[in-house]
Amino acid sequence: MTTEAQAAAPREHPWRMPANWWTRNRRYFLYVVREFTVVPIAAWLLWMLLEIKRADGGPAHYYPPSSTAFVVFSVIVLLFSLYHSFTFLSLAGVIIHVKVLDRPVPSRLIVLSQFALWAVASVVVGFVLIWFAR
Amino acid sequence: MADKRITIQTTRYDPDKDEKPRLQSYEIPFYDDSMVVLDALNYIKSNVDGSLSYRWSCRMGICGSCGMMVNGTPKLSCSAFLRDYWPRPIVVEPLNNFPVIRDLVIDMDDFMQKLKSIRPWIIRKQEIPLGAGAHYQTNEQIDDFRQFSECINCMLCYAACPVYGLNNEFLGPAAIALARRYNLDSRDQGLKQRLPVIADNEGVWECSFVGECSVVCPKGVDPAKAIQQTKLDTTMRFILPYGNRD
Repeated sequence: MTTEAQAAAPREHPWRMPANWWTRNRRYFLYVVREFTVVPIAAWLLWMLLEIKRADGGPAHYYPPSSTAFVVFSVIVLLFSLYHSFTFLSLAGVIIHVKVLDRPVPSRLIVLSQFALWAVASVVVGFVLIWFAR
Repeated sequence: MADKRITIQTTRYDPDKDEKPRLQSYEIPFYDDSMVVLDALNYIKSNVDGSLSYRWSCRMGICGSCGMMVNGTPKLSCSAFLRDYWPRPIVVEPLNNFPVIRDLVIDMDDFMQKLKSIRPWIIRKQEIPLGAGAHYQTNEQIDDFRQFSECINCMLCYAACPVYGLNNEFLGPAAIALARRYNLDSRDQGLKQRLPVIADNEGVWECSFVGECSVVCPKGVDPAKAIQQTKLDTTMRFILPYGNRD
């Protein structure tokens, strides 16, 4: 753009996102809360990696953490994880578009199948953990 | 009814005089329950202050010209009824996330360039001559993309998207929804030309699913759905054998 053209161009007022944008709308606020719940989940997973490392010496030398603070933290993280799982699996009905015999599968059926798979996977993982812990 | 009045606070910005946009208050008669915010602005322009600038055209929620922030929410001003706000004042501002040219008029160049970048038209590898007749589609084939074809380019979804507000490199909801509309069209063969734009870091993967674009869409297009579906499709194309089909 030439200097003359720049001078002739209208002066615009640029957009700047206010720092408190996420407090201006309830849904923005819930979105930010949702995003931040991954921080404690990530911290808990790092903790679990350290515990696995600590278990290196065998069952005789390992004492699992059992403090009240850890149990409370774990329960909170479990709730956050369930919340993420719920939102993710509910979203499946929106994003997965499958056709059977040229007819689209209803989104409710897709969501139900996702939750059923989730339940089956949880039972299998729980069974494996309990089986190997015996 | 004749004495009923309502206060409209609207953004004023004259780039030759003002450092930044400011709000100006107008009290106008609210003489008809069917009045919308656009009627109020037209009343101000015709009877109070002829210098007020804003875009509008069809006055019936079709052209997508009159998108504005109405009490902080992106709305078509022709579809925002005064009766839903009265007796409280109504604050009318230009759409968020865009530069302001004057008063309620935003610069939409960025959106227009993004819209063009996804090639929102039917692309054929080889054009079918007109003499070959109509290119038929079944109702089921139309149903695949009908929802996404309802977009009127009103940009309310861009004004509602904090991701775009924080990073205007993001391709944005409407452009991706329209890309999906054409990619799902049985007559179209342009997927490979659109993929570099929509599957880019600043394309679908920039979206973190706030979902507000779908909430404010006046036509029920559900751009958030289009974006999440595109994420799934591009991933499946990447990981599945023969997924890189046309």
